[in-house]
Amino acid sequence: MKTKKLGAVLACGVLAASLGLVGCSSPAGSSSASSAAGSSAGSSADAETTEVALLNDGQLTVITSPDYPPFENIENGELVGFEVDLAKAIAEEMGLEYNPVQMQFDTIIPAITAGGQGDVGLSGFSVDPDRAKEIDFTTSYYIDDQAVAVMKDSGITKDNAAESLNAAGVIIAVQTGTTGETYAQENFPNATIQGYGNSTDCFAAMQSGQATAVCTNLAVVKRMIDTAYNDAEVVLEVATGEEYAAVVSKDNPELTKAVNQALQQLEADGTIQELQDKWF
Amino acid sequence: MAVWLPNCLTADAIHARAGHQFAPPSPGKDVTVTRLADIFLKAALAAMLMMGSCALLVLALPMDARALETAKCTARPNGESGSDVYGGKETRITWEGLAGTEEPVAALSLTLPPGTTFSTDDARVTMLSGENNMDRTVIDAEVSAEGETFTAKFPEPAPAGGYFRIELYQVFFPADGGPMPITGSYVLDNGTELPFDAGAVQTIGISATAQLAESLEAQEWVQAWNSNKFLRLFFNPPIIVESIPIVFQGFLLAIAIVAVSFPCAIPLGLLLALMRMSKIAILRGIASVYVNIVRGTPLFLQIYIAFFGLPLAGISIPPFVLGFVVLSMNSAAYMCEIMRAGIQSIPGGQTEAARSLGMNGAQTMIFVIIPQTIRRVIPTLTSEFILLYKDTSMLAAVGVMEMVYNAKMIVANTGSITPYIVAALFYLVITLPLAKVVGNLERRLDGVMPKKKRKQVAEQTIEDAS
Repeated sequence: MKTKKLGAVLACGVLAASLGLVGCSSPAGSSSASSAAGSSAGSSADAETTEVALLNDGQLTVITSPDYPPFENIENGELVGFEVDLAKAIAEEMGLEYNPVQMQFDTIIPAITAGGQGDVGLSGFSVDPDRAKEIDFTTSYYIDDQAVAVMKDSGITKDNAAESLNAAGVIIAVQTGTTGETYAQENFPNATIQGYGNSTDCFAAMQSGQATAVCTNLAVVKRMIDTAYNDAEVVLEVATGEEYAAVVSKDNPELTKAVNQALQQLEADGTIQELQDKWF
Repeated sequence: MAVWLPNCLTADAIHARAGHQFAPPSPGKDVTVTRLADIFLKAALAAMLMMGSCALLVLALPMDARALETAKCTARPNGESGSDVYGGKETRITWEGLAGTEEPVAALSLTLPPGTTFSTDDARVTMLSGENNMDRTVIDAEVSAEGETFTAKFPEPAPAGGYFRIELYQVFFPADGGPMPITGSYVLDNGTELPFDAGAVQTIGISATAQLAESLEAQEWVQAWNSNKFLRLFFNPPIIVESIPIVFQGFLLAIAIVAVSFPCAIPLGLLLALMRMSKIAILRGIASVYVNIVRGTPLFLQIYIAFFGLPLAGISIPPFVLGFVVLSMNSAAYMCEIMRAGIQSIPGGQTEAARSLGMNGAQTMIFVIIPQTIRRVIPTLTSEFILLYKDTSMLAAVGVMEMVYNAKMIVANTGSITPYIVAALFYLVITLPLAKVVGNLERRLDGVMPKKKRKQVAEQTIEDAS
């Protein structure tokens, strides 16, 4: 395992270095990053220290909450999803090893703010000026909307969704700390908004009758219905146009810059588009 | 428009009626004639009506064109939980409206109630189109603020009949609360300015704690205090003030859950203990299987199974009740063992003495053994109470709004750990005094009397001796 990882890092380093040589648009960032990879893999001669402060040298520690398919979830014991692949690509672009850390969604921002747990949070965070007070956002890499799903036999349909959801006695399951929670609170003030730790629990609660509906991001709702909850359906879609971005501590602006550069590069070479085609 | 629609309906209605009336072919040679007449009549009628409605439509247009209509106007809830919008606290307004079918909008403005402040930073104007309004086009509008009026000038007039959304950030409504009517106006491509009603937001006057938190936030020592990262994350004064009332609600719920489930668990535990010591093998078997399963699995898992599993099996129980049922059933298994140990610790001589006095088995248990057992198990039961009280926190995972749940909501909103500290204090309020009580009880059972009493007894002995 260890040797495998080392090999991967070496490969990353070589790749990043070659990218740098081929002439990417951001020579400064990638050269410093590749030198980091070089020193960690022990292959490069110049032991130049990186300007980016990282939790573990040579590793990009990414915190994620793997309950959000198709962005991130656990399949057969492996962390998979769009943002997992993206995180790997970012780490590769920066010449670092990808080191995933799993946490519950609503604890990621406090963990990043407090430090000591991870470098970057990549778990379907929508850019939000309120959140931006606590944390720095990188540039966005995906745009998503909100959706509300109900069980097919609930009697709520596309035609009456907006009114019947905003009624006393209706319980809307949301993931705490998400934009879906805020959306539901703002738009369905008469309903009870019940918070759960992750989106899997939200759907489980709806299926078991503890909640009437689930409100969360559209891509997640669609994937959940496709894979596990065939007896549920989407009754409301709202084009909120939330931009997904990674979160980085305000104390580490250099890292934000480096991640932005990596994202820019991945956007330019079509990797992001490729990953989107793969997962959505 | 309003005139056109009924006309259209009438035309349809006449069509339908005509069709119905003339449709059944009458027998005989007149059939074709009737048919022809029918078709002719229908065509003429339809043509006349259509011409009429067209004329009316054209006539009606200038004065009766459907004006811009507000589809929704909401503010983001800014309390620490729930849907309430408070005055004097930062919020975000989302307004959505549909422009008239003949109205190419060139500028939109919203006028907020007097005393409201907002920022044009991050303000966003979007046009939604397509099926279910799912296609978004961000309008690169020139935004400006004048007093309470926010104006967005579009770079070029939007297509007629557009559906617009305005998101306005850092809005502070007046602190008094109440309904906040918002008015608006829009400018067409030809320069005509028209007013519209932009809806209203219901706000609540700022709460005393929120006010205190705001004033704390402005204080210099608080800012100095918060400049230290550790203090800001763990002991942020404004967040402490704001969390206390919300966490307190959870505290009451947690107390309520324990107050119901603990007394229920005691007889249940005693029953299980008696079953485990029964002579009947089946009873013994049932009790030990139950106790071993419950004690051998985490409470967290039991809560999940009960909350998501039972309703699937068709048993639907409200969360609070389910929470108390799971906790009492869990606690009963532990109490069974406490009780059993208690009963078995009573010397066999007690039973023998009771039996020799002519008591039967049940009488011995009820009047001799159990009263002595209760005395012995009180300290352990108190510890079990403390455990049960702390275990209520696990119900947060399934949406029971107890302390940890409420604290978690604030943590998710603020990104500060402070609410957890507040919740911890609320747990300690109960557990610390109880732990002290347990200590005293244990000492007394060990035969060690409290200091004061010991002194009294000693004095008494000396007096007696002299």
